[in-house]
Amino acid sequence: MKNVLWVQFSKDKRNPLLVLLLIAGSIVAAILFGGGIQSATTVGIFSEEADAAEIEDKWEALLNTDDSFTFEIVEPEEAREDIKKGNIDVAVKVMEDDYRLLVSKNMPTVSSVERHVDKAFQQEAQISAVESQVGEDVRDEMESYLEDAPFQLEAQGLDSEQIPTYNIRTQLLFSFTFLISMFILGFKVNNVTQDKVAGIWDRMILSPMKKTGMYSGYLLYSFLITMLQIVIVLIVFKYVLRYDVGDSLWLIILIAACFTFGMISIAMLITGFVRTPEQFYAIYPSVIPLIPLVSGAYMMPGTITNSVLLFIADLFPLAHAMEAIMSVVFYGAGLQDVMMSLLYMLLIGVVAMGLGINLVERRSS
Amino acid sequence: MLETINLSKSFKGKKVVQDLNLYLADGESVGLLGPNGAGKSTTISMISTLIKPTSGRITMNGVNAIAKPGEIRSVSGVVPQELALYQELSAYENLKFFGSIYKLRGKELEKAIQQALEFVGLDDRKKDLVKTYSGGMKRRLNIAAALLHRPKILILDEPTVGIDPQSRNHILEAVRALNQTDGTTILYTSHYMEEVEQLCDRLYIMDHGKVIAAGTKDELLSILSTENKIKVELNKLDEAFVEQVKTIEGVHKTEVTELQLKIIAAKGSNLISKLVHLTEQHQIQLLHFQTETPSLEDVFLHLTGRTLRD
Ligand SMILES: Nc1ncnc2c1ncn2[C@@H]1O[C@H](COP(=O)(O)OP(=O)(O)O)[C@@H](O)[C@H]1O
Ligand SMILES: [Mg+2]
Repeated sequence: MKNVLWVQFSKDKRNPLLVLLLIAGSIVAAILFGGGIQSATTVGIFSEEADAAEIEDKWEALLNTDDSFTFEIVEPEEAREDIKKGNIDVAVKVMEDDYRLLVSKNMPTVSSVERHVDKAFQQEAQISAVESQVGEDVRDEMESYLEDAPFQLEAQGLDSEQIPTYNIRTQLLFSFTFLISMFILGFKVNNVTQDKVAGIWDRMILSPMKKTGMYSGYLLYSFLITMLQIVIVLIVFKYVLRYDVGDSLWLIILIAACFTFGMISIAMLITGFVRTPEQFYAIYPSVIPLIPLVSGAYMMPGTITNSVLLFIADLFPLAHAMEAIMSVVFYGAGLQDVMMSLLYMLLIGVVAMGLGINLVERRSS
Repeated sequence: MLETINLSKSFKGKKVVQDLNLYLADGESVGLLGPNGAGKSTTISMISTLIKPTSGRITMNGVNAIAKPGEIRSVSGVVPQELALYQELSAYENLKFFGSIYKLRGKELEKAIQQALEFVGLDDRKKDLVKTYSGGMKRRLNIAAALLHRPKILILDEPTVGIDPQSRNHILEAVRALNQTDGTTILYTSHYMEEVEQLCDRLYIMDHGKVIAAGTKDELLSILSTENKIKVELNKLDEAFVEQVKTIEGVHKTEVTELQLKIIAAKGSNLISKLVHLTEQHQIQLLHFQTETPSLEDVFLHLTGRTLRD
């Protein structure tokens, strides 16, 4: 087994470019699609009423309540022009007590802007309604009352002191890292077929080497090189780009390890169906990009509700890995909490590996 | 001694090797000759225990080698027809790996690598990547990889296809040296008659999955001892003429290559005068004329009606 590891590593050492490019690729993809360095989205607001300036000022104050969005007063013509050209995704037209959303494309940001704006308007409408019935000073009274209410509601994460903040950027970081992992591990598993076709496998069969040693050499190499990629990417994001990936890095790596094992087994299963490395190169890259789509890895958790898709997603390790990682990163879950996901991935791994090796062996006799 | 008894192999119902009986005595050098597709590689794969026969037996010193493949594996080295090498690695790295799978370690491994490299004449290029090698050098390394564990039986499957004459001679000399100096038993597969003729004590001629003749070179040539081979060169050749030559009494085989006609006919038949007569009839000029004793190539032509290169 050690000699197989050594020979595979020697080959990659000679041509490290592909693996390095893939690692760099997963970092770049996560930054690009994850919306870059963390910053609040700026949204333009404007009014076209008679007393526009007054209305704009009122809503600017009411809308800028947290740091996920910054609402800025803009010229109406300018906003309409930018929307038309697609320069910005969304702008808000405010009226005395109503609003309209101007949308150019349906990006995930649009719906969160809508939710935020809608909440502010609802709240304001309630306060105005009370005000008109009771009298003048309701607003101040309400505010001072709320500050010292009999029931203090404090939202908390499971173990942390902060409220868990779901963040699509962090999710995408993992989605892209795992997407690239699936390619790396697949290409390494394909070395089995490559060496079979070349006749190198037969040389090993004739030698005193054991079959288990042969398989474990190839599979362990695939595992190690994939874990290297994942760990490098995680370290870059956590310590260089300062992404918030939670405090339990070791638990994330454990989840990634189970994921890698599960996926290597699936790659082995696919190997069982192909005769040449070229066939693998034709099938594998066309199947792999579908897995994150079906598993909802690019969308907010819970977006996919179709039970058929959910069932298919459960057959692959990715859905389980994402679920476990999201709960670790956003909700501070511990080993106990993600145990089921880990076991699922290991189960998928053991079953697919058994089938895969069986098929490969049947092929060759 | 290694022996096969009625060895057969079918792929999806198609018989590729049929009732093959063959033996290899210790220290012998045996050739397996046949055109492409004759079933040589399939035979080699069965003997080296890589594939299981559909029927028949293989024994090694009397032990059933199909049930106990270790009997053959532990004493044999196999040079496959394809280049089973890592092209992205150097010759040294390749041999290091192929030695390590035979559990060679440390000094012992280094020595085996060095000997194998010197033996095939690649010592000075050992640090170069295999993909930069010529076809002949790759073939030589392919052989070296099978020698590291000093096998008692060396099985070579067409080790010289598509290479330059120099590498070819090097390989033939090396194999001969292994057989004569070290006493290694050789099973050598080829579709080149000359190689097998030079190298082997005994040979089997295979065609369409069957052994059609076997024996020493002399024994095989004696098949044609009652035959003569005549080569004629003509200024033109037509179908009608060749057809009439075939009807001459005693003519067994004819083979046309451009303006040359090869005829195998029974000795003592009055062939030459009849041939001259025919050329006059067809107004063909006879440019050159030669009789030869038949070669193994002719034996093959005689037995199959085809040449080895078909
Ligand atoms: N794995 C296989 N499956 C199906 N047919 C095969 C297989 N291997 C060889 N054959 C067929 O068996 C015949 C003999 O092949 P082979 O033993 O390679 O001949 P040779 O080595 O003499 O050229 C060929 O017709 C080839 O197509
Ligand atoms: Mg062959």
